[in-house]
Amino acid sequence: SVTKIRSSFTTIKANIQARDSIRTLSILSHPHSLHKVKVGRCCITRQLFNFYVDKVFKHCKTEDSFVNRKISSIANSFLSVKRKLEQCHEQNKCLCGQESDEKFKQILANYEGLNVTSAAIKSLGELDILLDWIEKS
Amino acid sequence: SGELYCSLPNPRNVHFESINMKNVLHWSAPEGTADGVLYKVKYSVYGVGKWIRKPECKNINRTWCDLSSETSDYEEQYYASVKAFLNGMCSDWVETTRFNPLTDTKIDPPMVNVSSTEKSISIILTAPEKWKRSPEEESVSLVQVYPGLQYNVSILKKKTKKRWWFSISNNTLVVPWLEPGTAYCVSAQIYVTTPLLHSGFSKEHCIATLKDK
Repeated sequence: SVTKIRSSFTTIKANIQARDSIRTLSILSHPHSLHKVKVGRCCITRQLFNFYVDKVFKHCKTEDSFVNRKISSIANSFLSVKRKLEQCHEQNKCLCGQESDEKFKQILANYEGLNVTSAAIKSLGELDILLDWIEKS
Repeated sequence: SGELYCSLPNPRNVHFESINMKNVLHWSAPEGTADGVLYKVKYSVYGVGKWIRKPECKNINRTWCDLSSETSDYEEQYYASVKAFLNGMCSDWVETTRFNPLTDTKIDPPMVNVSSTEKSISIILTAPEKWKRSPEEESVSLVQVYPGLQYNVSILKKKTKKRWWFSISNNTLVVPWLEPGTAYCVSAQIYVTTPLLHSGFSKEHCIATLKDK
């Protein structure tokens, strides 16, 4: 699924990132890079997948039907990964920690610091940051 | 009065060209301008508030600027921007798209080392290193950057033009049961599954298996 997400995102990355004119803020990398999170990776991955499903995709409608189709394909892939992560969580295999909780709180604060559409488009444009981080483990 | 009017046409096609994370900003001269155009360059880390000037690329007449040092942290993403000047006039700043060194770089083919016995060929592959500021700096192989890095290896039996393909994750391959005294040519490519990246194929390295004693 991550590979499928990556390839779908690659086709719309330039389009989505061009819609994000705020260079000075990042949802995932501000003020510290997501890559700095070393502990509680499973927990923050689960939280981030929930975040994207609950708060991002639904606010990313564009006038471009091709882009919209790719976004819904990514959203569907997120849903299937989200379910797997939920199972891990229910089996206590995806425990959270202070570091990941603080990072996720920061991400939510960054998101809520912008209007919904800008925050959602920016978050979607940062999907490669999330994927780069996931694939590093 | 020396005040600059920004009515000069903009530089065009401002983009990063990256090989093994040597990240060089390139652009084309503004339309309709011949010689004498000068440029300056700035860059920014995505998510950080400020643009940073690149002094070595101030008032330059070439149409490229090496920003490898400034963009060497591949856990960050970047923008760069160029402005043109000519005869007291200037252009607007023209920006790149967001540049992600990890996914937007091209990778060189691996180095290929071959040796043979009577009935086998041994192949050792070496992935390129990530760009580094100076020879003294510690080398980082792209294998360390891309955990999913693999190699596709092609072996051609010259006599029959028969070709075999192998896909391996580690960097050594021994091909057994070959015909003694026969020429084989080896070529290899780097392949990263995610993010999806692949190098070209290396040039062919030909070697003959030893003759039967």
